[in-house]
Amino acid sequence: MSRMYLFLKYSAIALWSIFVVTPFLWALTTSFKTANGVTGGPTYLPWLQYEPSLTGWKSLFGGGGGIDIVKPYIDSLIVTGSASLISIVLGSLAAYGLSRFTYKAGFVKNPDLIFFFISQRIMPPIVLAIPFFLMLKWLDLLDSRIGLILVYVALLLPIAVWIMVDFFNNIPRQIDEMAMLDGCTPFQAFVRVILPNSLPGIIVAGMFCLIFGWNDFFFAFTLTFTDTQLLPVAVVALNSSVTPWWSLSASALISIAPLLLVAFVVERFLSHGTLAGAIR
Amino acid sequence: MSLKIQDLTLTVEGVSYLDGVSANFERGKLATVIGRTLAGKTTLMRGIAGLQHLDRGALTLDAQDFSTLPAWRRDIAMVYQQFINYPHLNVFENVAFPLRRRGLDETVVDRRVRVVLDKVGLTGFEARRPHQLSGGQQQRVALARALAREAGILLLDEPLVNLDYKLREQMRSEFRGLLADQEETIVIYNTTDPVEAMLLGDTVVVMHESRVLQIGTPAEVFDRPASTQVASVVNDPPMNFIQGRKGETDIELVGGVRINLPWHLSDLAMGDYWFGIRANELRVGGTSLTSQVTFSEVSGSETFLYVDSTAGSMTLQVQGVHIHDLDSKVGIGIPAERLFVFDTSDNKSLVAAPATGAQL
Amino acid sequence: MGETGLRRYKLAFLLPGLLTLLAIILFPLLFTIRVSASGWDAITPELNWVGGKNYAALWADVRFWQSLARLGGMAVGTVLIQYVLGFALALLVWHDVKARRFFRLLFLIPMMTTPVIMSVIWRTILHESLGPANDLLYLVGLGPYPWLTSGGWAVVSVMIVEIWQWTPFMFLLLLAGLISLPREPFLAAAIDGAGPIRTFLNVTFPLMATVSIGAIMIRLIEASKLMETVYVLTSGGPGTASETSGYYIYIKGLRDFDIGYAASLSITYLVIMIVLLTIIGKVLHRALVGGRS
Repeated sequence: MSRMYLFLKYSAIALWSIFVVTPFLWALTTSFKTANGVTGGPTYLPWLQYEPSLTGWKSLFGGGGGIDIVKPYIDSLIVTGSASLISIVLGSLAAYGLSRFTYKAGFVKNPDLIFFFISQRIMPPIVLAIPFFLMLKWLDLLDSRIGLILVYVALLLPIAVWIMVDFFNNIPRQIDEMAMLDGCTPFQAFVRVILPNSLPGIIVAGMFCLIFGWNDFFFAFTLTFTDTQLLPVAVVALNSSVTPWWSLSASALISIAPLLLVAFVVERFLSHGTLAGAIR
Repeated sequence: MSLKIQDLTLTVEGVSYLDGVSANFERGKLATVIGRTLAGKTTLMRGIAGLQHLDRGALTLDAQDFSTLPAWRRDIAMVYQQFINYPHLNVFENVAFPLRRRGLDETVVDRRVRVVLDKVGLTGFEARRPHQLSGGQQQRVALARALAREAGILLLDEPLVNLDYKLREQMRSEFRGLLADQEETIVIYNTTDPVEAMLLGDTVVVMHESRVLQIGTPAEVFDRPASTQVASVVNDPPMNFIQGRKGETDIELVGGVRINLPWHLSDLAMGDYWFGIRANELRVGGTSLTSQVTFSEVSGSETFLYVDSTAGSMTLQVQGVHIHDLDSKVGIGIPAERLFVFDTSDNKSLVAAPATGAQL
Repeated sequence: MGETGLRRYKLAFLLPGLLTLLAIILFPLLFTIRVSASGWDAITPELNWVGGKNYAALWADVRFWQSLARLGGMAVGTVLIQYVLGFALALLVWHDVKARRFFRLLFLIPMMTTPVIMSVIWRTILHESLGPANDLLYLVGLGPYPWLTSGGWAVVSVMIVEIWQWTPFMFLLLLAGLISLPREPFLAAAIDGAGPIRTFLNVTFPLMATVSIGAIMIRLIEASKLMETVYVLTSGGPGTASETSGYYIYIKGLRDFDIGYAASLSITYLVIMIVLLTIIGKVLHRALVGGRS
């Protein structure tokens, strides 16, 4: 029984691993192809089945049927980075308030407020896309980085609050009190004592914000056109029958590369146990 | 020159945490506040520190009202029972933190921190982080930080309660020495342990269920407890109380036990009273009454006997290790000259007490 | 009396974030509701008033309700499959410490990647004649399948991509849950001679109830917004075979520019989602945890 189980177990694991890795491998090998490697049917092995070339990769830097990947990268970095930063700052402040103080406005109390923050995730993007479109148009912020940053803050703030409230709750209140008795105003206590002790939380919140922000497609798609271009939109724009598959694959791979790096960093964290508390 | 608290009151959702608490605390003196858990000791301390909102009452230091000052502007240092230190700072920085916040010159800070660390026996630990220290060491850091501040008021909320027994005894004996040169400081120390309260305090404040029951020197509170409640709190194990009646020539306790009148009660008016006798002053093998053992517990070099008798259930504290079987019969001797007398009012106030000089 | 001075700070902490969120989300939401009562479209691009006309129209909009049903089916389907697969993988890897590290890293990767971009890659994979999917299946004697060109298969394709993308998420959550379970119940079961299946049914699964519900609800909430994958992979097609509500509303609102009507569709969509998700949450809670919520 045990032998059979082990065989099944490792087969299942192997199968799943192959399934996970396939898209990457396929994109990788396709990115080095040219017309021969694609039009006759799928090919897999370089040199054996097709002649590898760097056309796909070269096209990333402008020229020859490809996209300019540099501008979207910069735009994505600026927009996602800024929005994450703002969200973490505002979110930590709000989360600290929710963790330490009791709020009451009529029947609305702390758990309700926290639920309000978290429930924003239920909102389907399309519900907001229409008013956002009209509002940004009115403010003349369509197709701009600032407009998109504002929108992203609305999306990422709940995430920051959700994660930070939990981390703050794990710090004993007496430490805040000690800081106050030692001469800190509540704000100073927050900045000088609580924040340094919440570094893991901030990093986790930061990573989640960056990932969710970077990976957004819908809002970038509906609210930007040419002046501001985020990576997901740029890549999807290539998704027509006109763009050669090798450029497409190269663009796709280079767009997700930084995230793979983040994946490594996150895994490091996971094994140190610091992340374990966040993914609860 | 003193801290005066007057009529401090706090009620939350119908539960009374403080009820008209008033007291005077003098500079250079250590006041212990003793009471059972939930007596209001911690709430009192937090109220003084400004960490707890109070419904009513006045807080004045040297006749200046400071109740409107937020906590971070009061000159108060506090040591919690849960070893609170700043996790992200090392020992030196922990102790230096409040000094730096006040903007003291770095050389002054350095000197003070080292002096205080030496006082609490932590020289050489400056670079360690709190989580690398034992419980006792962590608490010393917290204490060092509080002392380094040279604050006007020093509050200690059961600081030794989370330490193991031996360590607690050791630190208790060091305490007086640590506070020796804090002549200008008002020190308030919370505890549930009568021994600690009596040993450390210049003044003892007895609290129970959100009220102050008695304030006095340890001797006063111990030898002349204002009520049965005080006598209960201040003795460990609690004092035994038996209802009885003082007749013309003797005392008749509930259950028919008769005791000769001791001389200190000869002027006592006749009537019904509550009589109190300490657990360690009852005698095993005596002839006042017989009882049956319900439970017996050996602790260290003492034995605690719990018995049932016609006069009610009682607790005895006996020196030495004595084995008594369950349900065995034991004679109890009640030394009349050690009897306390309390009236039968709601308060059960003290009417008469034995001569002083009882063993603690 | 006994002023703790904290009152001022209380609001200073909460309000910046709360107000920002309210401003950026609440107003648009209210605005959408207002727009839904207007006849704003490509012909009359203005905020007029038509009362409940849009809502009356959507009652009869078969395409909308079909898209909702489709969305429901796909969301529930993918989440369930993700749950089962994720749980199975987590169980397989649970006690194997070395395998755990390897898989945590391996599985992290799909989660971190941009879903739309992966969909672009998947589109090339599932291409009937030029993609490897049919080619490899042919080797095992299966297919070829019209992944993107036939109605039913289009739905399956979308589901495959979703499952690929999000099963790791389930896996990680459930594994973390398994790891934090107490040992005692399992020791007790072993002493009682319970086999692996009984142990799972009577010990593991019940103990994992709260984690399971949390994971399922989180994924369900995200899955209920399904739109991007559809857009890239199938464009809702062929025809409307794989169209979800999100996609349909997008077409109506931002392509046909029937904004008033699209707004009413959005609000309806939102309300239905909130109601359904709350019900599902409560039902799951009662079923798996039982008693008070």
